[in-house]
Amino acid sequence: MLRFDHLCKSYRTGPTEVHALRGVSGSIPAGASVALCGPSGSGKTTLLNICGLLDPSYTGELYLNDRKVPTDARARTRMRRDRIGFIFQCYNLIPVMTAFENVEYPLLMLGLSKAERYKRVAEMIDGVGLAKHACLRPDQLSGGQQQRVAIARALVKQPKLVIADEPTANLDTATAHQVIDLMRDLGREVGSTFLIATHDPRMTGRCDRVCTLHDGLLAEDQDALENESTVCGPKEAVCAG
Amino acid sequence: MRWLIFACLNVIRNRRRSLLTVMIAAIAMAAILVGSGFALFTYHSLAQKAARDDGNLIITNPHFFVKIAEHPLQYGLDHFDGLRSKLLQDNDVRAVLPRIHFSGLVSNGDKTSTFIGLGVEPDEFRVKGPFLDLLAGKVLNGKQGKDGLPEVVMAKGLARSMNVKPGDGITLLSTTTDGALNAIDFVVRGVYSTGVPALDNRQLYVNLDTAQSLLATKKISTLSVYLFDIGKTAEKLTRYQKLLPRLLVTPWWKHAFYYHSVRSLYNRIFGLLGIILVLLVFFSISNTMSMTVTERTREIGTMSAMGASRSEIIRNFVFESAFIGGVGSILGALIAALMNWGLLQLDFQMPPPPGSSQSYPLLIEFSVPLAVAVGLTLTLVCILAALNAAHRGCRMSVTDALSHV
Ligand SMILES: Nc1ncnc2c1ncn2[C@@H]1O[C@H](COP(=O)(O)OP(=O)(O)O)[C@@H](O)[C@H]1O
Ligand SMILES: [Mg+2]
Repeated sequence: MLRFDHLCKSYRTGPTEVHALRGVSGSIPAGASVALCGPSGSGKTTLLNICGLLDPSYTGELYLNDRKVPTDARARTRMRRDRIGFIFQCYNLIPVMTAFENVEYPLLMLGLSKAERYKRVAEMIDGVGLAKHACLRPDQLSGGQQQRVAIARALVKQPKLVIADEPTANLDTATAHQVIDLMRDLGREVGSTFLIATHDPRMTGRCDRVCTLHDGLLAEDQDALENESTVCGPKEAVCAG
Repeated sequence: MRWLIFACLNVIRNRRRSLLTVMIAAIAMAAILVGSGFALFTYHSLAQKAARDDGNLIITNPHFFVKIAEHPLQYGLDHFDGLRSKLLQDNDVRAVLPRIHFSGLVSNGDKTSTFIGLGVEPDEFRVKGPFLDLLAGKVLNGKQGKDGLPEVVMAKGLARSMNVKPGDGITLLSTTTDGALNAIDFVVRGVYSTGVPALDNRQLYVNLDTAQSLLATKKISTLSVYLFDIGKTAEKLTRYQKLLPRLLVTPWWKHAFYYHSVRSLYNRIFGLLGIILVLLVFFSISNTMSMTVTERTREIGTMSAMGASRSEIIRNFVFESAFIGGVGSILGALIAALMNWGLLQLDFQMPPPPGSSQSYPLLIEFSVPLAVAVGLTLTLVCILAALNAAHRGCRMSVTDALSHV
């Protein structure tokens, strides 16, 4: 489903250059959920942004459904609209829209008929247990409720891939549990592939696979690197270039 | 529709700032409408005045305005009575007034001065209404004065320099149509002011028939046609031009130099004012919109992450800005309409315009087409400002926009 090879990405702030990703490879089978762990600053967000087609400036290869992702900005936008759902740490709901309208928005962009939209949105809102709150705006909802709306918004278009960047970081334990369960259950229903950045152990326990990032390298890659220490030099050189 | 509602909600989100921007647009709109309303009122009253002075249409010999006559009334009109009664059959025609323009010397026995004379029928004073500011005595009534002498009314400057008042005698000298010198004694019947100092020093009015006997002719200089409705001037002009191919028909605006110069002056003044105000609105709405765009950077990032195209995102800001501009315009139009009504109640007097000594009432005209045009322009300006601000906002990469705080 999702495959990446030797992803490298570096940020330049003034004279210093930060290597956020230093040659990350891996693949995620369709329908799987992968937790991406690692301390803060290890490059999780950077990897998620690349896999979610948000960040076009990287080196290495990225394949979605065995096809190389497009470089053209319009094609990438269209691909995000059709196939990828996003869940953010700060929910990022549109403030002027009600919960219902927020969930409806992705379907509006897909040009679905009104009847179809209403059916799907109602189902989804019901699925996240917010049927009673459908007419409220984000500022009238609690954090957990907002994140549940965000989950409904990400899943309503039945995306192939869902990218979630620390979805439970702003929530208390009980709410986080609810949110995690919702993501897993609804995700299974829809059949999406999940890529979740988190350092929440509650989250990692519920995913099919756990990968750990450390200083821009996946743990597996790090092992490989230690075994063939000669590769390290050229790899870093690629990143710098 | 749904996006318009979202736009309204977004505008309401930052109430103070939106209100301020709406007020700026409203005040600019009101200022433009009041300024141009004043200009329109002035144009219309000057047009009315010009048409009242010389008639809506002036019928003359084709050479009258272009060739210099070798003797008086060389290019005058003969046998005008038939033409006059034919024109009067038209229900749109209020009056047809013959006039003689002549000049010569005026003398009180001690002192002599030049004059510009107008020979008119007594109807002139009835048809044109109170166009002269009578300071003493009366206007001409077509009859002879005391001692059977013909009568004259003089402008105040000329009367002062001749040292005469109503009832005094005066002599006018002029060249006749066949080149001889002729003089007639007159009695002063009234003294008036035109409001134009240059005319006040020279002008006088006499009865048409006395002017004819002074010049020893039966001709007249011009035949002025007065219409009930100034708006019909152009239509009658083409009719008369077809009807009278051998004569020259001139509409009032060909000779309304004052009207044209005021108009071009005011057009420039109020045009510049309008441009400045429109720029002001542009900059203030630009400022508001770029603040809004910056505040909502994360929202922009979220929308484009979800696959919204750049134009969809920009469209939202355009709706918001157009909403502000539209509300501001409507509010401004209401303010202008209110001022229009208020001035009607208050009756302010404006100081005399250049070249005149008469003040006039301050009124403004409220023109609906103009209000619509200005409102649309302001809304368009708001849309342009939003396009500009939103475009700059959308240049940021999605990842930067999402991590914006
Ligand atoms: N926009 C940026 N500009 C400069 N450096 C950045 C930027 N984003 C991330 N980084 C750097 O890249 C590294 C990885 O960051 P990130 O992917 O956000 O890590 P994580 O999400 O795991 O906390 C960090 O060292 C961070 O300082
Ligand atoms: Mg992060």
